[in-house]
Amino acid sequence: MNKAFNDALFHQDEAFYKEIKGQSSKEKALRFNVYRNNVYVSLMDALADIFPITQTLVGEDFFRAMAREYLQQNRPKSPIIREYGGTFADFIRAFEPSQSVAFLGDIADLEYKLLTLTHAPEFTPLTHEEVSAAFNHTTDPAKLLIRLSPNTQIMLSCYAIGSIYLAHKQPSEQSLTQLDINNSEHLLLSKSFIYAEMHVISEAEASFIQRLMQDKTLEEAIPDDDTFDTGASLAKLIQWQLITHVSEAAA
Amino acid sequence: MVFTPKQSQGAPAPSSFIDNTGISLKPSYYHEILDQRPTLGFFEIHAENYLSLGGPARYYLQKIRAHYAFTIHGVGLSIGADTPLDQAHLKRIAQLVEDVQPEVFSEHLAWSTHDHTFLNDLLPVAYDQATLNRVCEHIDQLQSTLKRQILMENPSTYFEFHRSDRSEIDFIREMTQRTGCGLLLDINNVEVSCFNHQTNPFDYINGFPGDAVGQIHLAGHTLDENPTIALKIDSHDTPVSNEVWRLYQHTLKTIGDRPTLIERDGNLPTLSILQAEAQQADQIRAQIKQESRHE
Repeated sequence: MNKAFNDALFHQDEAFYKEIKGQSSKEKALRFNVYRNNVYVSLMDALADIFPITQTLVGEDFFRAMAREYLQQNRPKSPIIREYGGTFADFIRAFEPSQSVAFLGDIADLEYKLLTLTHAPEFTPLTHEEVSAAFNHTTDPAKLLIRLSPNTQIMLSCYAIGSIYLAHKQPSEQSLTQLDINNSEHLLLSKSFIYAEMHVISEAEASFIQRLMQDKTLEEAIPDDDTFDTGASLAKLIQWQLITHVSEAAA
Repeated sequence: MVFTPKQSQGAPAPSSFIDNTGISLKPSYYHEILDQRPTLGFFEIHAENYLSLGGPARYYLQKIRAHYAFTIHGVGLSIGADTPLDQAHLKRIAQLVEDVQPEVFSEHLAWSTHDHTFLNDLLPVAYDQATLNRVCEHIDQLQSTLKRQILMENPSTYFEFHRSDRSEIDFIREMTQRTGCGLLLDINNVEVSCFNHQTNPFDYINGFPGDAVGQIHLAGHTLDENPTIALKIDSHDTPVSNEVWRLYQHTLKTIGDRPTLIERDGNLPTLSILQAEAQQADQIRAQIKQESRHE
């Protein structure tokens, strides 16, 4: 019977009303609609909580209409409601009415990745002193293997989504008016203490971090790019609490 | 990760749960609770919001648990579902219960999952033999996995099923007798359901198996005054109503004092407002206890 109930929630199908006590079809519909409304509103609210900047960018009315359309086809797979919406970014990219905001899907993707990271287990990073000690103890720093936290992710977008995200997150620090939305951006997603955070990085830095994540030595990871500053990039990795282990590569 | 037992932290003894009313724990209260340490009997969490392996929920739960008693309220096990319980979810819940060592673990007489999808609402069950068998089987499974008695909450409902062949109270009594589970009596749900089905909430309380009640919930509701049929909605986003306070008083007179929670999930007020509602419950409890001593 729960199947018939479930079907009635998502289709305007009155067949299920025969199960319900009531004086009239109107009364039965009103009673059943409390559940339908609870399910729809709570799932739309959940998406609004999970994708707050996506909602800000298109406005509440548009967002809720889009969320309603999404939930018709995509129900949560898990009772852990913050996990809902894993396919929302792809849905938005294909959603005809949102095509005028071409970067919206990427923003949703970023929000979902950051929320997932926030709830991921933490790894203890090395302190500045510990990293310095590892460098001081080696005869050849170029051969060092610098391991990064499993919570490190690189994301590439064709749009300036990192800057848009930060402008909405910390409105005073960056102005949207000077932003060229069509600039592609490399983003570093990581975890500091118990929260996920995001940094806009250069293409060379992204390449450097990706190579470290592939267990390349420091020397192998340094990109062939004159503008790349190895010392400054390492300092950022320490400051962002990404380094969990430094060791010498096996000879 | 097993949390530090509260006894070794000089935290309140379990009597704080028995004697003083608690409130729902929400992220917006974390810092104030740790800074101010308000006097409250306990905090209740929704299990499904605290299953992450990292992040703020887990971190603050551990910090606050060191100073307060806790109860865990499941909202996603779908005890009333006509499909088997989700084993992976059950395992995660068991680990949380193991870590937090709550005073009580409670769930609902309702269903919320169907065909591997979660509907994020507590949907009603028909009160018939097939449902009773299924619900009892799921409670047995849950109690044996958690290795403890659980409490089952009476639902708020908006319609009744033609196929129900017994009353909600008879169903709940049979469920309790068959499984040995305790009951969480949600007095707001009694008010909401009785209003919606045009029955007397005081009669409901008088007929309820009071001996099995291990905890009481008090919450707020809203009224949908449509012309066809007015319905009360169990919204948890307003203060406890006067009707519910009166029914609470009657309940304590009928079944005796019970650990009580002010349950609030939406339109969250300041912590001090919830604390004041908890104190209002404590005053009623003190008054009833005093009256019963003089009888």
